[in-house]
Amino acid sequence: MKLNKTLLAIPLSVSLLLPMGALANAAGNDDHGEVQSEEVSNAAVDLRAALDSILSEHAYLAVITMQKGIDGSKDFEAAAGQLGENTDELSAAVGSIYGDEAGEQFKTIWSSHIGYFVDYVTATAEKDDDGRKKALANLDEYRVVQADFLDKATEGRLKAKDLEEGLKMHVDQLIWAFDSYGEADYEKTYTSLTESMHHMFGTGKGLSWAFTEQFPEKFDNLSVDTPQADLREDLNSEFSAHAALAILAMQKGIDGADDFDAVVAALNENTEDLTKSVESVYGAEGGKQFNEIWNSHIGYFVNYVTATAENDEAAKEKAMKDLDGYRKVQAEFLDTATDGRLKAADLEESLKSHVDQLLVAFDSYADEDYDKAYDSIHEAYSHMFGVGTALAGAVVDQYPEKFESAAPTDMPKTGLGGMSQGTDYTLWAIVSTMILAISAGAVFIRKKVTNS
Amino acid sequence: MMNKQLVIIALAFMVMLAGCSTTEAIEEPVGELKSEQAVNEAKKVEEVTESEKKSLPPRTSEGLSLTDSRVGIEPTSLEIPKLNVNASIEDVGRIENGQMGVPQDPDNIGWFEPGILPGAQGNAVMAGHIDSLTGPSVFYELDKLEEGDEIIVHGDDNETLRFIVTGSKVYPRNDSPVDEIFGFNYSSGLTLITCTGEYNRSVKTHEERLVVYTELVQE
Repeated sequence: MKLNKTLLAIPLSVSLLLPMGALANAAGNDDHGEVQSEEVSNAAVDLRAALDSILSEHAYLAVITMQKGIDGSKDFEAAAGQLGENTDELSAAVGSIYGDEAGEQFKTIWSSHIGYFVDYVTATAEKDDDGRKKALANLDEYRVVQADFLDKATEGRLKAKDLEEGLKMHVDQLIWAFDSYGEADYEKTYTSLTESMHHMFGTGKGLSWAFTEQFPEKFDNLSVDTPQADLREDLNSEFSAHAALAILAMQKGIDGADDFDAVVAALNENTEDLTKSVESVYGAEGGKQFNEIWNSHIGYFVNYVTATAENDEAAKEKAMKDLDGYRKVQAEFLDTATDGRLKAADLEESLKSHVDQLLVAFDSYADEDYDKAYDSIHEAYSHMFGVGTALAGAVVDQYPEKFESAAPTDMPKTGLGGMSQGTDYTLWAIVSTMILAISAGAVFIRKKVTNS
Repeated sequence: MMNKQLVIIALAFMVMLAGCSTTEAIEEPVGELKSEQAVNEAKKVEEVTESEKKSLPPRTSEGLSLTDSRVGIEPTSLEIPKLNVNASIEDVGRIENGQMGVPQDPDNIGWFEPGILPGAQGNAVMAGHIDSLTGPSVFYELDKLEEGDEIIVHGDDNETLRFIVTGSKVYPRNDSPVDEIFGFNYSSGLTLITCTGEYNRSVKTHEERLVVYTELVQE
């Protein structure tokens, strides 16, 4: 059953990954009411966003799957299945650049590291230290193989040495998140989870940079490395982490899990990050307003979880009503802040998708319909990339001067000619001319003298 | 095919987990059938194996790479041992005509400050004069650098970073890959620029630019 779903997902991803800017759709395809900015959304930047989305969701799902594995949770299989679908998506993306065969090769290598993580979890469950060491040794080997693949594929634009470093960080962050979880050090667990997701945005930038450098004509000769693209992906990172942590907090909440508080703390930290971003554009007052409104919707979700736990239908209704109210206020805030660049009506629709996706993900989890839950988690996660893109589009349009590149357009003038042979000749010329002039003058003067 | 493999991995994993709990559940009733002494001994053995099992050493974060250590440093001076260069660094930016700025003092080196910190991910860029009005300047012999040569950057907190030359290239002054030089790099690089070629008196600049590429050595 899982298998069919996975297979179905491939053609869809491939069609999304074809050029004509359709890549944007892989990362949030809803209408967020944005002003389309060429600088924020184009073939190159969309590729970067799509890779960021897939890679960071990989990190999230990997951490979650490892937790579900060690806990023997009922949703382990669905989480692992979603992780497999994510691998398909990523392999299809690689295949869309380097061909299907390369995509398959990539998939084999990439899947191997997921297998080694599973080995690590299994060995930990069996308290088998040798097994754990073996899994880590395999992960070390994986890094070399994966780095070599990407170095060769990108024709050295990404260097194996750097890739190995990057992959080490990815592996270490996931292992650390898992080990800390096992030792009930939940603060470390969720710091490592959020860092592992954020790290993937660097990987996405690196990969998309190499791909676009290698095949510039496929990406309209555009760059993934612009201040506008950076804003889009910074916002996408914060918004997507919000969705991921919100869903996790709701799951931990209904389960009465020990790490619930730590997930909520991570979610709150994410709200602070988002607030700082809003503040950097709209000032302290704007940040403060945003913070209050945004926090309100997190509160309503918490109320919904509590009501579900207590089987309190009336309280659930109330929470949903509050979320409707929230949508209106949040939409108005963004419409006003962006000076109408984002339209309140469109924003309300987009926020409705966000709220509904989280509620479906949660309800399905509570109802033990885990396939549905993880499908909805994927949708909710991807949706956030549209939110970040829309907001970035509006901000860039509103404050274009903030996004002018500081890079020079011309090389420096690092020579004054003092050591150039030409100088000597010129000096000679000047001196000779002067001597000539003086001689001529002398002749002229003499002539004058003679004449008089 | 890979999907199948994943599912198999997942299933195998589930079986193993299930296997663990089954073993534990079976051990108890088996013990009950034994004599009291045997039970006690069995319990002792079980305790030992349990404690042995539980002695899975806690993992520490030592040696783990959890955050990117490549944060970069504010550069104050640059050393090129091979060329006996040891020069102070001035911050430069972009001048009005779009050119990268140059150091006021031709014996100093200019670091493009709005760009990347040396040691951080990306290309940090520094430029130095080949000559002044009257004689050679700090990067007069930059063309002598070869692959493998060392460059040392000193920071304002006494940090040092080592870079190794990976190659160099000469470009026409009006046809240099400026976007690439100042653009993104997945590695940590330091790029050095100076003038080279004929000095064109009418436009008061050399006809070419020498670009030396280097790579951070991560200690």
